[in-house]
Amino acid sequence: MEPLKKTPLNEVQHELKARMVDFGGWDLPVWYTSILAEHKAVRSRAGMFDVSHMGRLWLTGRKAEAFLDRLLTKSVPRLEIGHAQLCLLCLEDGGILDDLVVYHVGIERYLVVWNAANTEQKLEWLFRWSSSDPDIVIKDSSSNTVMLAVQGPAVCQLKNLEDAFPSPRFGIAQAKIGNLSALVARTGYTGEDGFEIITDAANALPLWESFIKQGVKPCGLGARDSLRLEAGMMLYGHDMDTNTNPFEAGLGWLVDLEKGDFIGKNALLEIKRRGVNRKLVGFQMNGREIARSGYRILKSGQEVGQVTSGGYAPSLGIGIGLGYVPIELATIGSEIEIMIHNKPVPAHIVSKRFYKKGASNEP
Amino acid sequence: MNPKEYKYTQEHEWICPEPGNKGKVGITDFAQSELGDVVYLDLPSPGTQVEQFKKMGEIESVKAVSDLFAPASGQVLEVNQAVIDEPGLVNHDPYGDGWLVRLELSNPSELDALMGSDKYDEFIAQLGEEDSE
Repeated sequence: MEPLKKTPLNEVQHELKARMVDFGGWDLPVWYTSILAEHKAVRSRAGMFDVSHMGRLWLTGRKAEAFLDRLLTKSVPRLEIGHAQLCLLCLEDGGILDDLVVYHVGIERYLVVWNAANTEQKLEWLFRWSSSDPDIVIKDSSSNTVMLAVQGPAVCQLKNLEDAFPSPRFGIAQAKIGNLSALVARTGYTGEDGFEIITDAANALPLWESFIKQGVKPCGLGARDSLRLEAGMMLYGHDMDTNTNPFEAGLGWLVDLEKGDFIGKNALLEIKRRGVNRKLVGFQMNGREIARSGYRILKSGQEVGQVTSGGYAPSLGIGIGLGYVPIELATIGSEIEIMIHNKPVPAHIVSKRFYKKGASNEP
Repeated sequence: MNPKEYKYTQEHEWICPEPGNKGKVGITDFAQSELGDVVYLDLPSPGTQVEQFKKMGEIESVKAVSDLFAPASGQVLEVNQAVIDEPGLVNHDPYGDGWLVRLELSNPSELDALMGSDKYDEFIAQLGEEDSE
């Protein structure tokens, strides 16, 4: 077995006696003290997550913009410098290869932050379409930088983030955090206001400690998952993959069919014309049971779909989840059952934005 | 830390013998720390017959679900309503207020098959070593 990959903050996580797990080949904390406490810290004040396992890719050069525009489902030329955009990377058949955030950092300079999974497949896809054009430079900077997500309603009271405050939601700027130079984006995956900070791996520890001193709570993957699920944010590999298209996944708002040609456009036009026969919905358990990813969804005893994400929602105190159901069931209030430990347990369909008070990634 | 008068299973349940061939059952401190925050318990109702080492319920933490096994055979006399209402008691006080069910034992000699606290301390110490290999 290959040794687990470590982020620049691995040592401090072990020192804090965090509960570590193998997360797609990375040695990462699932919790430091308690998922519930960490979840609550982010909803009520501020928490920080080491998200250095996420892929960070620089695309630069004269043709970088056109290249990205050809690959992504949103218009890249319309993305102004200093702004970021959530996008999909689709295959020719419209299947989703990844969801990612593209940041327009400077003239002919784009940063792509994408999921840690399938990196090789995705890089191969990029290199295939760039066909070694010298005007498209692709450089992975994941291993020599650290990425820290600082999230929660109190982030704007953090002294060393003052420089980054004017940035609007989905803004990105080169900023000073204390005396450290970093790229700071007002993005996140928690449903709260927050920043994602990318800086040299050598700055990892001073950056971490500067937030510890201000009472920002270290948070693990457990809270990251419960926070994103409550906010109705989807997880690649669970709620979508190459076998799902953006329209059934409820991500039509990320597909700009008015823009010029892009990979998957023809298939997506056709899918949109035909309509979808299943849809990703949010559901809430009627009682106190908890549905988990992979459980079956039933309607009147018949299997109709599968839970793709499920768990306990700490802010709501109930079990919630996401899953695909036939389009005729995909209306708010529809009664369904989830097969939990061999028993059909009642649930009903609700809005995917289970928790509505914080910030959203949707327009 | 693990109470001396309790008996322990390899699945990290404990039973505290009580007069009249009864016993209170819960999960160990090691089990609760492995599970993390407990948020839901599916426990057998009073009157249910349970069998030693057979599944009798489920414990759900934020992160995972795990089976609960009976440390001894018998009938469920009582379920701890406090822990149903507030599952976090399992984390805060696993050997006290976080108890789960009370059993009437049908075969008290079964308790001889369980570990005492010293044996259980050794058992979890070994698990820790395996983890770090």
